[in-house]
Amino acid sequence: MTNNTSHSTTQASTCTESTSTETKMLQEDNATNKSNLGQQGKDIGMTLCGTCRNINPIDQGRCSRCHSKIQPRNYQSLQQSWALLITAAILLIPANIYPITMLTNQGKVTYDTIFTGIVHLVHSDMIPIAIIVFTASILVPWLKIVGLAIYLSAISFNLPVSKKKLMVGFHIIEWIGRWSMLDLFVIALTVAVVNMGQLLDAKPAPAATAFALVILLTQLAAKVLDTRLLWDRLEKNNDTN
Amino acid sequence: MDGFSFYMPKNLDQDTIILCRSCDLAVQRRALPSNVRALCPRCHTALYDVPYCSLNGMLALCITAILFYIPANFLPVLEIHFLGSIRATTVYESAFAVWVQGYWIVAVAVIAAAVVAPGLLILSILLQIIIVKRRLHSAFWQQTYRKLLKNHGVLSQLTMLEIYVISFLVAAFNLSDFSDIYLGMGTFCFGMLFLVILFLQREYNLEHMWRMVHDE
Repeated sequence: MTNNTSHSTTQASTCTESTSTETKMLQEDNATNKSNLGQQGKDIGMTLCGTCRNINPIDQGRCSRCHSKIQPRNYQSLQQSWALLITAAILLIPANIYPITMLTNQGKVTYDTIFTGIVHLVHSDMIPIAIIVFTASILVPWLKIVGLAIYLSAISFNLPVSKKKLMVGFHIIEWIGRWSMLDLFVIALTVAVVNMGQLLDAKPAPAATAFALVILLTQLAAKVLDTRLLWDRLEKNNDTN
Repeated sequence: MDGFSFYMPKNLDQDTIILCRSCDLAVQRRALPSNVRALCPRCHTALYDVPYCSLNGMLALCITAILFYIPANFLPVLEIHFLGSIRATTVYESAFAVWVQGYWIVAVAVIAAAVVAPGLLILSILLQIIIVKRRLHSAFWQQTYRKLLKNHGVLSQLTMLEIYVISFLVAAFNLSDFSDIYLGMGTFCFGMLFLVILFLQREYNLEHMWRMVHDE
């Protein structure tokens, strides 16, 4: 490690994390080099291929490894991401106020929204399941939409939020977003096995489609966005700017 | 240490520079001990790690996955007994059931995430391994290889077996109020398929596979 610190070509040291113990190494190394942080690929005329993450000269049209087009920055991605996010936010309303399942139990029809479904679970003493469903179908979609909105506003309106925190939040959103699919899978399974006419029958209801679209659009909004835009406009050493 | 000199582009060793995909920071690549991954010093995105990426291991996992894939998709994954009537469903049938109700977006999501994407993922990795191992260097095979690698990210994101496995449990608990729940061979195979694909994805390293592109 000491060899590395004195190495004169070390431009910005990587801080490393053990996947098993989560201990951070090279931390002091990182601190001493803090003043060097901020030299981006575009400053040294290099850029990353968006498809295969190969490093190419910035003026080269196509990636030398995967032959796809190189874009040093995708400025349109900000607009696209906003558009997808706003659509998702609008769809989140019908997804939550309309019923998502229709249950016929001995001739009696009850409609359940996402929320009342969870309330039923709590009343029938299935708290752990209720927590899983609550996280997947209420917490995650809302968190995703609010989180992405903060992230995108930070880029669009230069909000003074710590960029490092934003980035960590973004990675969490990217990872956790898929778990919203849980509710749709449960509905599909339930509808398939519970079909005994007037006796006991489950059917999906309109919110299911809206909810599926919310998941799809928010996932796309996160995927489309070029996160490097956040880090461009800043002064080199100021994290919050 | 003279910090100032580090700003100079001429001091960067161009061969070992890597750029962070999230914030475009230029970072000097250095050797890592195993089980450690490098994080971007500025935004803490994972940059790279030391891949195992053993081709033979992945080949074995691929074949195991194919063996589990077939029963996992054709045997019923959930069976309920309610007042003497028995209902069972496979993954396909559950998607079909919502499709006929008019919720085809939900059905497509289920089929894509639980059937099509995992299947394509296994086939794609299998084909990649064959191309690398058999040294198929002709232009056609190398082009196929590039295409497979380009689409790997999407396939691997669409594969949501872990969520499907949890959804059995949630559905089973939901229904246990009304009826008796039986989980059969299909459920077991689906669970195993999930585990095998989990390990396959851990073993697989896209950057490593990209380095095996044979350019003429």
